[in-house]
Amino acid sequence: MRFSQLSIQILDSLLYSIHLCGVKKRRLFFYFILLSPMSVVAQTRMANDTLQMLGDSVVITANRYARKLSNVTVPVSIINAKQIQEIGAIRLTDVLKEQPGLTMTSGFGAGVQLQGLNPDYTIILINGEPLVGRTAGVLDLNRIALGNIKKIEIVKGPSSSLYGSEAMAGVINIITDAANAMPLQATFRYGTYQTMDAGVNHSIVNKSISYQGYYNYFSTDGFSIRPNSTSRTTTPITRYTINQQLKYNFSDHTNISLSIRATDEKVKSEISVVNGGATISSYGYEHNTDQNFNASLNHKFSNKLKTSFRGYLTEYNGRQDLLTVAGVPYYDLLNHLFQRIENQTDWNISQQTNLIFGAGTILEGVKSNRYDSEQIRKTNSIGYGFSQIELNPTKNLIVIGGIRFDKNEAFASAFSPKISASYKINENNKLKFSIGQGFKAPDFRQIYLDFTNAAAGGYSVFGSDQAQKVIAQLMNAGQVGTLYNTYYQLNTLKPEYSNGMHFSWDYESSNKTFLSIQLFRNDINNLIQVQQVAAYVTGAQIFSYLNVGRAFTQGVEVESKYQLNPNIMLSGGYQFLLSGDKDQIAQIKAGKVYTRDANGYSRLLSLSDYVGLSNISKHRAQFKCNYHDQKGFFANIRFIYRSRWAVNNTNGNEVFDNGDEFAKGYISVNSSIGKEYKNGLSIQLGTDNIGNYVDAVNLPNLPGSTFYGILKYQLLNKK
Amino acid sequence: MKKSIQNLAVGLICSVSILACSKSDTSTLMPVTAVRVNDIPSDTIVGLSAQGAPLTNGKYTFYSIEKNAIVPNADSASTKWDIAFMSTRIITNGGTSGIGQGGAFVFTGLFDALTTIPADSVFKTDNAPASYAIPTGSGKGWYNYDGLTNLITPLAGRVLVIRTASGKYAKIEIISYYKGGVTLPATASDMDKLTKQRYYTFRVAYQPNGTKTF
Repeated sequence: MRFSQLSIQILDSLLYSIHLCGVKKRRLFFYFILLSPMSVVAQTRMANDTLQMLGDSVVITANRYARKLSNVTVPVSIINAKQIQEIGAIRLTDVLKEQPGLTMTSGFGAGVQLQGLNPDYTIILINGEPLVGRTAGVLDLNRIALGNIKKIEIVKGPSSSLYGSEAMAGVINIITDAANAMPLQATFRYGTYQTMDAGVNHSIVNKSISYQGYYNYFSTDGFSIRPNSTSRTTTPITRYTINQQLKYNFSDHTNISLSIRATDEKVKSEISVVNGGATISSYGYEHNTDQNFNASLNHKFSNKLKTSFRGYLTEYNGRQDLLTVAGVPYYDLLNHLFQRIENQTDWNISQQTNLIFGAGTILEGVKSNRYDSEQIRKTNSIGYGFSQIELNPTKNLIVIGGIRFDKNEAFASAFSPKISASYKINENNKLKFSIGQGFKAPDFRQIYLDFTNAAAGGYSVFGSDQAQKVIAQLMNAGQVGTLYNTYYQLNTLKPEYSNGMHFSWDYESSNKTFLSIQLFRNDINNLIQVQQVAAYVTGAQIFSYLNVGRAFTQGVEVESKYQLNPNIMLSGGYQFLLSGDKDQIAQIKAGKVYTRDANGYSRLLSLSDYVGLSNISKHRAQFKCNYHDQKGFFANIRFIYRSRWAVNNTNGNEVFDNGDEFAKGYISVNSSIGKEYKNGLSIQLGTDNIGNYVDAVNLPNLPGSTFYGILKYQLLNKK
Repeated sequence: MKKSIQNLAVGLICSVSILACSKSDTSTLMPVTAVRVNDIPSDTIVGLSAQGAPLTNGKYTFYSIEKNAIVPNADSASTKWDIAFMSTRIITNGGTSGIGQGGAFVFTGLFDALTTIPADSVFKTDNAPASYAIPTGSGKGWYNYDGLTNLITPLAGRVLVIRTASGKYAKIEIISYYKGGVTLPATASDMDKLTKQRYYTFRVAYQPNGTKTF
């Protein structure tokens, strides 16, 4: 694990109680708090079930060591197991789509847009270790089963100073339950479209060993929401997930932890490609596997000094095998291997000063049939070092400064600083501020792609490393017609950079009301974009990648919770988001961008018509009402709104403006009810998308109304 | 052969007479008004092959700017036409495409703002297959092609400045490539995208007096 195992060890009892509280085993919980050294904290938590828990929840991702949420200086959201369970969520996408400020995207799997930045820019971690296997920058979040998750931590804003590449928009860290209190737990969920999810968790916990095993099977028949179409928007899928975690304590000072996670997914593919007007249908399977293995050794030298060594290996293999109706085979292969060794040392220098530092090395490589040879793995090695210091000069002030340097073999190095601070004005009010730089390294496809689409007009896309070499060869063969100016700009790609800033005000009152208002701005430079660099003699285009774009996103996020009475909690969230391509804005200001009026005649585009980047909604809002009672009954209803977003440029000017095509804004309403019995059994019924909102083109992952039932049994630990 | 000579002769007489007309008009300086031309077919899809590939006749539609009329294909080797359309390609009656004095260039700006063709403008002529006066290809001449939606969208703020077969000047703004004069939405059916494409709607202003002002 990336975060310190030792700090977990210290906090084990605390986390234990949180978990227990999460699954609402009050009787058991009571036994525990008697034993727990943290019983005072725990007791207040029990008295105020939900709100109090918020500030006291432990966050690991924000600092790479455990801190109470109330002492964290950057914007963090925590989703705990109980919340996941009560909305009937089974895949990571189910839960993220209901979170303030997050937007799910479709295309190359379900990705997540954070603060208006594409899925490429958010790193996805499981227990602090990154998942790999992105297609066109998107990591399909449906790959992640939720059955053994303790909590999900979401850090918003550039976090490369701790996590390196990809942590440009933020970090999503999925924390699984290494020490589940339940010896056995089985869950079965069945719903519309024969969607089935079955999971088993079992664990063994004693003084020296904590073990957890998790097995999950998921299958769905998929669905079709396109009228008059036989092709399914979501095709039949089967997935298996296995997760084994073992922690062994040699002594109070030293432990070792091992974890293996594997997923195997088979997706039935029915693909229709329109090519020059001809529709070519292909059928077959996509087979994706994903394995992660990590081992860590943790040692505590004293109460003030501890260190951990972590080794991590992960491999993603995606292969698509298709046959066209005419019997022509087609396949696509992507294999991504990622290996990392890392050390982190935590040193509590004094009451007021906390220091961490670490270093690591990464070796990763990708094989793909879209590179010049699928036999040869393209590799990159990265060496990095990081350090972060936390200062508490006064009781109410926390200042954190961090820095990380990543030295890359395959492309330019990156330097990521960050400073953040929080100040408690009084019991109820707190201000937070952070400024930092994040980066995303060019990915393998942007460097090594060697792809010619012989079918669709013969255009080619070459990675930056390949382009000059391949085009020179093509020129010698007399195949190149024109070289564009962009050809001469081809260079070693630099990482994309973002300078992010955030300011927030948090208000919490008498454990009943919580309000947070957050302003953010991200300025992104060196955006890597596909550009035409040459043309074949035939006129077909040759593309490559260049660092050309400059963009920004900025907005306001509001999160609120209100405990109406001991049983009912209301919560709401809102995000206002603006975005723009800075070069496009300059062009518009210079009077060089045109649009069309109602007659179809061109006119100059004014800045007020400009809507910014595609796929970004200006407004997003959530409203949720949760009911719980002492008898284990719960019910909830959640409204999620997203305003229109630009999808296609239809008025011939390559910028998105009011005259373009938008996907309509929509509300989806989800609801669930359930009851947990004292004997460990629980039942739950739910429905998603009650209003049956469907947009087959722009929301292919949103089926109409669906229903499900969940049966769960927990063998209780009668300690 | 005889017929084509006849056609040529008729064409010549026509153009001479119009030339004569316009000469007399120069003194009065008639304002040039733009006309909107709707749904000129351009080698439209006539069917599908067994594999589902679209089939066309592979023929140009010839068009006379002077007369605002389609010219029969039989008159292709004449100066009766000024421009011709085949799918997204637009040719002018000159160079390798025809026997007239035709040429063109693409002006970036607004149709109404182009009141005088700048003196330093260079009219290009077709040099098939290497190049055309109105460049072919997405983003290079008059349109943009979106590979995801398979839609052709005329670029906004582009004016095709045309020298006609008889050496007069005209300006054209393409409005749509789809029947009905409006680009189809991305959500349109594949069948609509096939059958409604290749219909040009544009506005054209023609200066019959031979000057470069509109």
